[in-house]
Amino acid sequence: MHETDIHDLSDDADYAASQQQGSASIMRSDSGRQSSSSEPDGAEVVYSKDNVTIHPSQLASERISGRLKLIKQGSALFMTWIPYKGQGSNARLSEKDKNLYTIRAVPLTEVRSVRRHTPAFGWQYIIVVLSSGLAFPPLYFYNGGVKEFLATIKQHVFIVRSAEDANVFLINDFQNPLQRTLSSLELPRAVSVVSDQSVSIDVGESPLDESQESSSRNVRDGRLSTLQYNGRTRLKPQDPARDLSIHVLEKFSLVTKFARETTSQIFGETHNNGFGAIEKRRYNHQSSIDHPEKASNSAEKAPELVPVAADPLEFDEAALIWGKPRQPPLGPEEWVSFLDSEGRVTDSKALRKRIFYGGVEHILRKEVWAFLLGYHAYDSTYAEREYFSVLKKSEYETIKNQWQSISPEQAKRFTKFRERKGLIDKDVVRTDRSLPFYDGDDNPNVNILRDILLTYSFYNFDLGYCQGMSDLLSPILFVMGNEADSFWCFVSLMERLGPNFNRDQNGMHTQLFAISKLVELLDSPLHNYFKQQECLNYFFCFRWVLIQFKREFEYEKTMRLWEVLWTHYMSEHLHLYICVAILKRYRNKIMGEQMDFDTLLKFINELSGQIELDAVIRDAEALCICAGENGAASIPPGTPPSLPIDNGLLLYSQQDDEVL
Amino acid sequence: MATRRRMLLKVIILGDSGVGKTSLMNQYVNRKFSNQYKATIGADFLTKEVQFEDRLFTLQIWDTAGQERFQSLGVAFYRGADCCVLVYDVNVMKSFENLNNWREEFLIQASPSDPENFPFVVLGNKVDVDGGNSRVVSEKKAKAWCASKGNIPYFETSAKEGFNVDAAFECIAKNALKNEPEEEIYLPDTIDVAGGGRQQRSTGCEC
Repeated sequence: MHETDIHDLSDDADYAASQQQGSASIMRSDSGRQSSSSEPDGAEVVYSKDNVTIHPSQLASERISGRLKLIKQGSALFMTWIPYKGQGSNARLSEKDKNLYTIRAVPLTEVRSVRRHTPAFGWQYIIVVLSSGLAFPPLYFYNGGVKEFLATIKQHVFIVRSAEDANVFLINDFQNPLQRTLSSLELPRAVSVVSDQSVSIDVGESPLDESQESSSRNVRDGRLSTLQYNGRTRLKPQDPARDLSIHVLEKFSLVTKFARETTSQIFGETHNNGFGAIEKRRYNHQSSIDHPEKASNSAEKAPELVPVAADPLEFDEAALIWGKPRQPPLGPEEWVSFLDSEGRVTDSKALRKRIFYGGVEHILRKEVWAFLLGYHAYDSTYAEREYFSVLKKSEYETIKNQWQSISPEQAKRFTKFRERKGLIDKDVVRTDRSLPFYDGDDNPNVNILRDILLTYSFYNFDLGYCQGMSDLLSPILFVMGNEADSFWCFVSLMERLGPNFNRDQNGMHTQLFAISKLVELLDSPLHNYFKQQECLNYFFCFRWVLIQFKREFEYEKTMRLWEVLWTHYMSEHLHLYICVAILKRYRNKIMGEQMDFDTLLKFINELSGQIELDAVIRDAEALCICAGENGAASIPPGTPPSLPIDNGLLLYSQQDDEVL
Repeated sequence: MATRRRMLLKVIILGDSGVGKTSLMNQYVNRKFSNQYKATIGADFLTKEVQFEDRLFTLQIWDTAGQERFQSLGVAFYRGADCCVLVYDVNVMKSFENLNNWREEFLIQASPSDPENFPFVVLGNKVDVDGGNSRVVSEKKAKAWCASKGNIPYFETSAKEGFNVDAAFECIAKNALKNEPEEEIYLPDTIDVAGGGRQQRSTGCEC
């Protein structure tokens, strides 16, 4: 709904001008309140730092460097960050991409806080949070200068160090009533991060406490009234503030395109109940309504149930870098543009990026999945692929013949074969039978499913057959149609997911462990909660991981998710971030209702069919960006679906078990 | 939510893949049978309120994946169980032969405080198939095995037809209840994995 506005802010001419003239042209953005009062020649650059860089993804090649400036204009101070143009190392990024992140003259009056991060290793960075609750992506100071940056701000605007966190600097222009309202509503740091022992929240010492109630009444009396059961303790002010921020952003367009886009996302999602915050608020209210007497006590003593530690990301990183809006799926016309005249994919990275953000139309899946899965090479030609398929078909027939030629007499003496076949027979008749493609008696596709799985269990005799494989194969056969191609695509997939089915379950344990590390990194209160509930084994995510959410979404959506995951665009392990994204969506419900392991497992199982796919993909993208290198470091090397790191000879433990 | 529970009885259903664990559970709890149940991945449970001697209990019935490869998950799912139901398919010999493995694996993983007296119930399912003509495990054989394991109660069932399912679960509930201390208990959210302090008594089922 704000699309047109977005473009107003970032048209190329304006961008180019800002590049050439630096501060002067920046003031000339559009219809915002500043532009009317500002004269270009009144601006003075009071701080300028080169090589301040944004990391939109984990990929070093996608970092965007630029110049950060503080500009004084009369009594007002503005911050800008303009990416360098046409930088060699950023060749992969389009100017449009860069433009997205440009920070174009944000008045410091709209900045609520600056959070400074000074990791022991790596670059210092800051996260700038706006009054609206939005934040810019972390700005990494490759050449240092964070201290100087803060010192410069201090010379021009009122800035205080947060009492809660010495690395957070609060910036408030108390002359501005709107600003005052906004800042008094925003209490992100007022919520202490829980200790291991308790999930209680104490905001009694919040410096902004006093103005809280009056300002919330000012804003939305109706909306906030239910919060009064437990008073300030439970005040989760982000929603009214965000509503307000939309007004702010609409009236004063002196915000970046990025912030705007984010805002329109929030706004857009309000309608379809998409983003977690809305959900969270509802759950919070429910729990407080359900137990008013309990909640009312919570102000005095540490309450047992209701209060939930705030999501640490809600107000900083993730608030801004919510994943980009999903795009429509890749269609035939656009697909052709990725191919050269002989059918080679010229830029596989661009293709994978495109699919990451929108998936592919069903009609193209047959062709595209073969690339994504690694069955066909991106640089193969039409002719080569055709030839390759013929070869592979005959190879498939050879393997298939190995079990087809087993006579009944031989089978009698071949327990392993009989049992394996029995298990597969049992599972294929209960795999997606409600789909027309697999339904009805004697459906030939069910037989093909069986043949492929049995052939696979001979191709990879050590791994054999394991429940869940039929779920993974079903969409592949549905898409590919052809038996041999489906088999080889499945083989490619199992190269990555095979460890999920190892007898010792190590592939699963590694992934569940990685999820626990990521939750610890991205939502420590939730992590502490799981720890306290002895849920750190994350077995409640078992089904999600084992079969890549196959049972959690309807068929079409599963296919969409899989093609997104298979791009490995943001990370090979996006599925783990999807797990975290879903958990975070329901974190307040999980903690608010004090779910124990059993309840949690049931709750998670029953989420099947309820999860909004696009929203969690976006959340996962954002989480992946937020987690950055720390996230990647949380995932042990070789964690599926990474290709195994050993030499391939001992991929699967060979110890026998009863069945198989 | 609140941790005080009105007598929660936890029951675990085990047995080979495809013997009908999910179907039995759904037949008992929802009185439904479907040909389209999917293979269980991980674990799930259903609950049912049951009344017994004027007291209400919540029966929590756990359905688990049947493939042995997933047995290592049992540690998480079996803890705090009050009764274990071993299911086999009367038409598949191997599923009967595996009962012993399932029983032993359960005792290892759940490590109840009194494994000798931990209540099991055995169900021979799918007696409806082919009018009983494809049956390969006789009732006599099954009962003999049950007797050898400390008089485990035995039922022949058909989840599809609903045959004997209620009777079986009634017995299961009674046995689970016997596994509980008599007084109403307070179940903390985190169950002591060692299960210490929870007395066990009872043996077979009188029903």
